[in-house]
Amino acid sequence: MIAPRMINRRMIDRRVFLATLAAATLPARAFAAPATLKAGEILRGRFTQDRYLKGFAAPIRSDGSFVLSAGQGLIWRVAKPFATTTVITPEGLVQVANGRELTRLSATRAPFLARLFDVLNAVMAGDWTQVETMFAVTRAPAGGAERLTLTPRRPEDAAASRIQSIAVTIDRFAQDVEIRRADDDYDRLAFVDQTVSAGPLSADEQTLFDSARS
Amino acid sequence: MNRVLAFVWLMMVLVAGAYVAVRATEGLSLQTDLMALLPREARDPAVQRANDLVSKAVGRRVILLVGDQSRDVAVSGADRLEQALVRSGLMKTADERPSAEMIGRLIALYGAHRSGLLSAADRIRLQDGHADEIVTRALAQIYAPASPIDGRLLAADPFLLLPAFLADLPTSAGRLVPDGNRLVVSDRSGTWAFISGELLGEPLQLDFQDRFAAAYDAAVRDLQAVAPGASVRRLGALFYAHAGAREAMDEISIIGFVSMAAAVLLVILVFRAAWPLVLCVMAIGVGVLVALGATLLIFDQLHVVALLFGTTLIGAAVDYGLYYCAQSFSHRHMPRNRLGHVIAGLTLGLATSVVGYAAMALTPLSGLYQIAAFSVVGLTAAFLTVVLWFPWLDRLPPRRMSAMTTGLARLAWRFWMAPSLERARWAAAPLIVAVIVIGAWRMTVVDDVRRQQSLPRDLLAEQADVQRLTGLAGTPQFFLVQAPDRETALQREEALGDRLTGAIAAGDLAGWQAIARVVPSAKRQQENAALVRTRLIEPHLAEMRTTLGLAVPDESASGPVAAPQNFEPLTFEAVADTGAASLMANLIVSDRPGQVLHAVLLDGLVRADAVRSVARSLDGVRFIDPVDDLTNLFAQYRRQAMLLFALSVLFILPLIILRYGWRGGVMVTGAPVLAVGLTPFVLAAAGEELSFFSVIALVLVLSVGVDYAVFFAEEGEAPEPATMFAVLLAALTAVLSNGLLAWSRVQAVHAFGIAMLVGLVLAYVMAPLATRAKRRRQSAPSEAAS
Repeated sequence: MIAPRMINRRMIDRRVFLATLAAATLPARAFAAPATLKAGEILRGRFTQDRYLKGFAAPIRSDGSFVLSAGQGLIWRVAKPFATTTVITPEGLVQVANGRELTRLSATRAPFLARLFDVLNAVMAGDWTQVETMFAVTRAPAGGAERLTLTPRRPEDAAASRIQSIAVTIDRFAQDVEIRRADDDYDRLAFVDQTVSAGPLSADEQTLFDSARS
Repeated sequence: MNRVLAFVWLMMVLVAGAYVAVRATEGLSLQTDLMALLPREARDPAVQRANDLVSKAVGRRVILLVGDQSRDVAVSGADRLEQALVRSGLMKTADERPSAEMIGRLIALYGAHRSGLLSAADRIRLQDGHADEIVTRALAQIYAPASPIDGRLLAADPFLLLPAFLADLPTSAGRLVPDGNRLVVSDRSGTWAFISGELLGEPLQLDFQDRFAAAYDAAVRDLQAVAPGASVRRLGALFYAHAGAREAMDEISIIGFVSMAAAVLLVILVFRAAWPLVLCVMAIGVGVLVALGATLLIFDQLHVVALLFGTTLIGAAVDYGLYYCAQSFSHRHMPRNRLGHVIAGLTLGLATSVVGYAAMALTPLSGLYQIAAFSVVGLTAAFLTVVLWFPWLDRLPPRRMSAMTTGLARLAWRFWMAPSLERARWAAAPLIVAVIVIGAWRMTVVDDVRRQQSLPRDLLAEQADVQRLTGLAGTPQFFLVQAPDRETALQREEALGDRLTGAIAAGDLAGWQAIARVVPSAKRQQENAALVRTRLIEPHLAEMRTTLGLAVPDESASGPVAAPQNFEPLTFEAVADTGAASLMANLIVSDRPGQVLHAVLLDGLVRADAVRSVARSLDGVRFIDPVDDLTNLFAQYRRQAMLLFALSVLFILPLIILRYGWRGGVMVTGAPVLAVGLTPFVLAAAGEELSFFSVIALVLVLSVGVDYAVFFAEEGEAPEPATMFAVLLAALTAVLSNGLLAWSRVQAVHAFGIAMLVGLVLAYVMAPLATRAKRRRQSAPSEAAS
């Protein structure tokens, strides 16, 4: 009776953010000698996320590791301040902590998750048109790397997501990402130790993806 | 005198014809709602309204999936198909997509009342003392990569309870995922794009079914011309109803044609003239016409079921015509003599039928009442037509019966009377006992309407596909919640919901939709606010703030620590004012103060029994199963018909005794009663299931069976071959025109046909027993057999 749209609108900010994240964490053809992920290949790395929110004395910092599998999705493991794992697949999002499932959001509830996959695939193939339909992209050299700035094209997206801009620095891989929102909230993500392997996934990783899909 | 009466009757028929014609030009309103057949007092207006509402939501729903390897082809194909159907004016798009503004208003409203809103899972967590899980979840979301968390949200809702509540709002999207303006779902074969339509007509109306099916077929052809690889799956009550109706129509037109042709051929062959046929058809035609006029006058509205069965019962009037016409095989050449010979039998035949059907009118079931009234009027009219008009229209030359015809006509009688067959008669006795024993042992009675129709395989396969792909299963069953006011109704829904949660965990149900999930009762909101305060905020908020480094915000009414006295629950009116009321319309049956009725709809019902039992002890909550109700309706009709049928035998008996005396009365009534009594056992022994339709057939068999017996009884010990031939002819035409329906694949039609077939044969075979009746008055046959 209540169309999924009702909740979806709420999630638009997530969609925009994830699309950006996908673009950011992936090697981009935009820059010289970008790494590309072929089907079945896996990108692993570590991250640090600082979240600057109004009303908070200090940034909320978390760090951990991530696994991005071209065919399957994203595993985001926060190690500090406490262990929690988020798995995003085309079927939806699952969060686990202390071996307990805390959140399960199907793609029906959060369609951005399904769309994320299209965007991921597009970026991997070096097809930025998908991203460019949602964002205006500007590029500028930044030292040995390139800095991309993404601005939501549609005012309703910007209003719903509160995202004002997203800046990504890319050399072979995305190095850091800054997301600016209304009210001067912003997130900074830094990525290190990124490697591409031909797979396969570890049993543990595969189990996570499988549980998120069931 | 007779001439005057015939003229008067002609005038009456013309008046009836004119009346029917006038009514027909106004649009003959035939009732088609099967629930209208229920006795008035048993019809609960609340259930009725709820049924209408839900059947509108479920019965008028059409779900289509357009699939293709290419996502774009699937989506544009769905657009094309939907547009074509909407353009036809027979369907509108049912998927009401709320505007972004409305959703914004609704979320803002929820935000302002967040302190009393909890998702079902969070409420259970707090009740069970697992607040730590909520704390952990909030932290996980704050650290997660995709989180839309911002400072303002965290300050107002540090445990992120509102996003959980919003995600818990009921949707009817199943596994479908929004993609642009369309919901889609993917599987290995590609993408399926979803169309949800609401029919703009009655799905059970035959002409609407035809028009929609034609529009649908054309639209699909059109689609596949553009996208040859695309396939379409459909789900909807209309498709089943249409397939059922089409099957029934096809069969009735084939079987009906064959049987009518056979009956017509028989009559023409026998009389070597078309005139008797014209006369008989006229008698029935006048009967139906006058019956229609009279019942329309009495009831104003006639139910289509009454029309159907009533017309069938009037079909028995063909016998009256045949009895008369068969007199052309006697030595009587004058129409007056011919009528004189049969009028006693005809009168008694009519009287017994009228009395028999009058017994059926002693019923609270309006359908049976209408059938009875229709039949009584129709048979009387047919009788009057034969008696008053036939002598004037009689152009039948006298004929002789061949030796073979005479032999055939005497066969049944000889079986009972010939001394040489004494041993064969005794041999039949153990056979009959055996049939009764086997029949009694195997007898099954079926009232389940789902069994009365054979469901086409291709539709079932498409339905299975749609349900597998979308996770949507339109469930006709629902709960009806009744309360004096809205708050109580919401509380009752919540009590029901708490139990349904268990049914979902047990796998009996996929989900449920109720107003209380959109607007919790004020009581529940108070409880939730107290739970959050005592189990979450007081023990965990300070720690949470420290962990995150969150500053203590200004106190505000909508903040996490709203003071109890400031708590203002969210109201239904406020939610409705956001424009969300239209989304909840199919859940509100009535919101009159004093009589609030809400429907609780079920998704993916697996075990109806288990879910039904869930609500057993809940106040004001009822499980409604329309299919079950229909089954009960048929069972009720079957039992009533059987009872009244037995009663009608008692009513007929005095009439027969009056004419034939005690012994004769027993013989004349006994022969058809024995035939009708044996029929269910023969059917059961042959593995047939009995239903309301079998009982209706037996009522008809009794009516004509008494006629057969009366005609034999009128003849005395040595019946004329012409009379015996008339009875044989009557039985043969009845078997041809009704008994052939036994070959129908539509269960209801088959049940009727097979009962007719067996019953008519038995009634015919038994009828000569009545010649053993000694008439009390007058008239041993004055002439010897020719």
